[in-house]
Amino acid sequence: MEGTLKKGRIIGLLLLLLLAFLLDISIGSIKIPLGEVFRILFSFHSENSTWQFIVEKIRFPKACTAVLAGFGLSVGGLQMQTLFRNPLADPAVLGVTSGANLGVASIMLAGGGSASLYAIKELGFSGSWLITCAACAGAGGVMLLVLALSSRLNSNVMMLIIGIMIGSITLSVISIWQYLSDPDLVKEYLLWNFGSLGGVTGSQLVILSLVVAAGLIIAFLSSKKLDALLLGENYARSMGLTPKKARIIIICSTSLLAGGITAFCGPIGFVGIAVPHITRSLFNTSSHRILIPACCLVGSVLMLLCDTAAQLPGFQTVLPINIITALIGAPLVIWIILHKNNLRNFG
Amino acid sequence: MSSDLTLLHTRDLQTGYLSGSRRTVITQGPLDLEILAGQLICLLGPNGAGKSTLLRTLAGLQPALQGSIEIEGEATKRLTPVQLAKKVSLVLTDRVASSNLTVYSLVALGRYPYSSWLGLLSEADKSVIEWAVSMTGIESLIDRKMHTLSDGENQKVMLARALAQDTPILMLDEPTAHLDLPSRIQLMRLLHRLARQTHKGILLSTHELDLALQVAGEVWLLQPGGQLHRGAPEDLVLNGVFEEAFVKDGVLYDKAAGAFIIHSDNTVPITLTGSGVAAFWTQRALQRQGFVVNTPGDSLHTVHVSEEGGVIRWRLEGKDQTQIYGSIGTLLNVLRFREK
Amino acid sequence: MIKISRNLFFLVLSVFVLLGAFSCGRGAPKKEAAAAGEAGDAFSSEKAVIRHAHGFTIDYYDHYKLVRILDHDGTKTDTLKYLLVQEGTATPSGYPGAQVITIPVKSLVVMSSMHVALADFAGVADRIRGLGNFAYLSSTVVRNNVKAGKVTQIGLDGNINNELVISMHPGILMSMANPDVGFAKFKTMMDAGVPVMPNSEWLETTPLGRAEWVKLMAALVNKEDFVNKKFDSVEKAYDTLAQLGSRAATHPRVIIGMPFKGSWYMPAGESYMAKFLRDAGAGYKWADTKGIGSVALDFEAVAPEALTADYWLNVGQVDSKKEIAGKDPRYASFKPFKTGALYNNTKQTNDIGANDYWESGAVNPQVVLADIIHILHPELLPNHQLVYYKQLQ
Repeated sequence: MEGTLKKGRIIGLLLLLLLAFLLDISIGSIKIPLGEVFRILFSFHSENSTWQFIVEKIRFPKACTAVLAGFGLSVGGLQMQTLFRNPLADPAVLGVTSGANLGVASIMLAGGGSASLYAIKELGFSGSWLITCAACAGAGGVMLLVLALSSRLNSNVMMLIIGIMIGSITLSVISIWQYLSDPDLVKEYLLWNFGSLGGVTGSQLVILSLVVAAGLIIAFLSSKKLDALLLGENYARSMGLTPKKARIIIICSTSLLAGGITAFCGPIGFVGIAVPHITRSLFNTSSHRILIPACCLVGSVLMLLCDTAAQLPGFQTVLPINIITALIGAPLVIWIILHKNNLRNFG
Repeated sequence: MSSDLTLLHTRDLQTGYLSGSRRTVITQGPLDLEILAGQLICLLGPNGAGKSTLLRTLAGLQPALQGSIEIEGEATKRLTPVQLAKKVSLVLTDRVASSNLTVYSLVALGRYPYSSWLGLLSEADKSVIEWAVSMTGIESLIDRKMHTLSDGENQKVMLARALAQDTPILMLDEPTAHLDLPSRIQLMRLLHRLARQTHKGILLSTHELDLALQVAGEVWLLQPGGQLHRGAPEDLVLNGVFEEAFVKDGVLYDKAAGAFIIHSDNTVPITLTGSGVAAFWTQRALQRQGFVVNTPGDSLHTVHVSEEGGVIRWRLEGKDQTQIYGSIGTLLNVLRFREK
Repeated sequence: MIKISRNLFFLVLSVFVLLGAFSCGRGAPKKEAAAAGEAGDAFSSEKAVIRHAHGFTIDYYDHYKLVRILDHDGTKTDTLKYLLVQEGTATPSGYPGAQVITIPVKSLVVMSSMHVALADFAGVADRIRGLGNFAYLSSTVVRNNVKAGKVTQIGLDGNINNELVISMHPGILMSMANPDVGFAKFKTMMDAGVPVMPNSEWLETTPLGRAEWVKLMAALVNKEDFVNKKFDSVEKAYDTLAQLGSRAATHPRVIIGMPFKGSWYMPAGESYMAKFLRDAGAGYKWADTKGIGSVALDFEAVAPEALTADYWLNVGQVDSKKEIAGKDPRYASFKPFKTGALYNNTKQTNDIGANDYWESGAVNPQVVLADIIHILHPELLPNHQLVYYKQLQ
């Protein structure tokens, strides 16, 4: 009975995902007839080459990126909330996001030194790749640091605090850097900071898919471990789990998901916090075997809707996706705080 | 003394913490302990004596400073976490902070060491869960969310989870803390029954001396210095170990009553005559009021309790007057007035 | 007959523009400075007449001038007032709230490339004693002075070193601040007796309006006669070119800049850049949009235009087609990318990475316009050599 209910919700969400995807692809600042959109989607051909370019090269990759970001951010958030037993945890808490941020800043603001700037330009084709790699390296670096500290700590609370501290240190390093840098470069960096789904194309999309897929597979394989962690570390150990190992696996997965997405799309907030809560109340379960795929669906639907909203039909301007997710996510977080009488009660 | 019934035994065990090169010894070794099948052991001791450390060490949650622990003939050091999880299950003081978890899925988590990599439950798993649920009598709770449970219900559910883990040994860390009296008694009775019916070895730490003395087959009494006394509870009472263990700022153990004496700083002597239930309760009331009852020497007052035809009377004899009262309350009021 | 005269006209014009570019550029600043210096210092007999700029006014009195810095649409009444008082004369009364500047100003602290260009144009670049940031500097005069240690780097708007500036006792500090907002941070400096004047030339809506701020500089250094003449020639050249460009038979379609992470900032219809394009006879899709800054568009909104445009100008911080494709492979689908009609305004980038387009280009709009006309309509200015623009390969 309960199982069929959950199956029904999954199927409903899948349909919703399909609809949201089509909606996102159909709406944009340029009006393209719906029939034409579908023809381009299914036959990759249109009489109007501009329309074909827009649907095929702009809207489709953007919608795919939205789906991937929704997958990764929400599952990353879910894992962090379980690992830290804290309803307000998300990848940003671990400092992974700010690590990626630092990586990007180090490339974009490169000391105002024309030498390093020149080096980036000479790389030409790999310009955007360099930023991506830097973000991954930054995320990875912070992850390693947190990992190293976590092996010396046995408490999730300590790790949470350390994650926040590392995040703050990283951000202040960036601020100092920003303060001393060429305003043009800072502007470019700030733009990146807004977060955008529109900059991921072609081979970047392939890499992003691979990174997110790897993170999701690891997450799904550790769903049993995550379930056990719901009872806290002591219980988890008494049931045969090795917390240190589990923590490393979960952190790896989260870093791949959050770092990868931050690298390609910039920091996108609140999805990681809000989606797991929505999903839990929707499915009324704590089982990660169900929550992980369900979070993927809810997260991607939410991201697609945010992206659609960001396009402000009728306007030629697109709002930064970050702003939309914050507008939707922040009230949700407030709701969570108000309605969970005890913040430690979650899961 | 090792036999087929021995589930766990330790050799030269010393517990404590090791941080860096610093050893903080909690229990003085060498401890040679045993848990037998079907035995309910209560681990008693004042706060800070190291009850939790010993329990955690025996459960394999923290390493022993010295010595070895064998469970069913295998050293716990050599067991993998999953193997160990099939031998010892735990009920801890940790709150489960997961409001969305239903009672059933929490109990089902007990099958963790047995279920598939995805955590899918087999029919066999499900029947063990059902058994655990019926043993603890929580059938009516299984669809409830964990955060809606009372403390007593919560402990029963955690116990069911430990039972679902299907281990020969069950350890509980202060399971009766935070519970009201009826729940405490219920839980202790349940554990007593479990030990007899399932032949599990159950070790629990508790402060409930009275209850422990009633249900425990064996008591391990930890003293602040780290010494551990073990034996049948009655033996420990008779040989004075209890008294010795709890002597601390006027806390005395009354062997005769099998209870702690709270009012040990009383000074005013009083004589009480009479017998039966009424005399017992009168003595308690007088002690609370600050009197030392029936000590040799002069006393200002004598209280005589008598019962005739179901009516109880208290006669208070002072230096120059004698009065009769109909309740302990009025008697106490008069004594209080006279003292001033 | 008509054809010959037209060709002749272009020839003359080309030479004229080239000469203009040469003399107005940094070709012979020393000589000018010397010439200007002789005429200067005395209270100017000629007045500056403002025809294009909306951001300031100058009123002339017997021994002082009153300068008002206005809001960009000229409507705001709470303007900033400055009394430019001739050295050695009494400060007139009756101007409460006005800052007093003793003219001719002998030492300047400036912030932007534009300020350097204004000083260079008026032949007083030598008087610059403090500069916001050396990294954006093109002027040879000032660069030489920097090398000689005569110029101090004082930090940009947000983090100007107040103590340093005050200890320098400059005749004026030119700030980039908008007169409407953010002026309070200069209070310390004004209290210490350093007059601070915001230079909001970037709020002007025409290239000539921007360039005309040289007249404010002229008023500060008593060089109205010299600057007026020079500006007149710039204006004349610009107007002639603008007539030529706006009458062009074709209007090649142009896109500007580069999208970043999905957002594309196009110059708004009332910006000076849009005016350049209009005067150069370009087809610019966003020519009728409101605003003096830029319009934020999403990639998709620009894509139809970009895919079919004829030219792609001011591409941004890139130097080759390879780099552009590296930023986003989708850009290679744009028609100008395929045809090679890609031009960037970075030809005059020097060894320290400063681009003179933002410096001398700002006061030589006729040269910039000639560049754009030459790019879009090569037949109209066949002999023009690009000064600020270059084709990306």
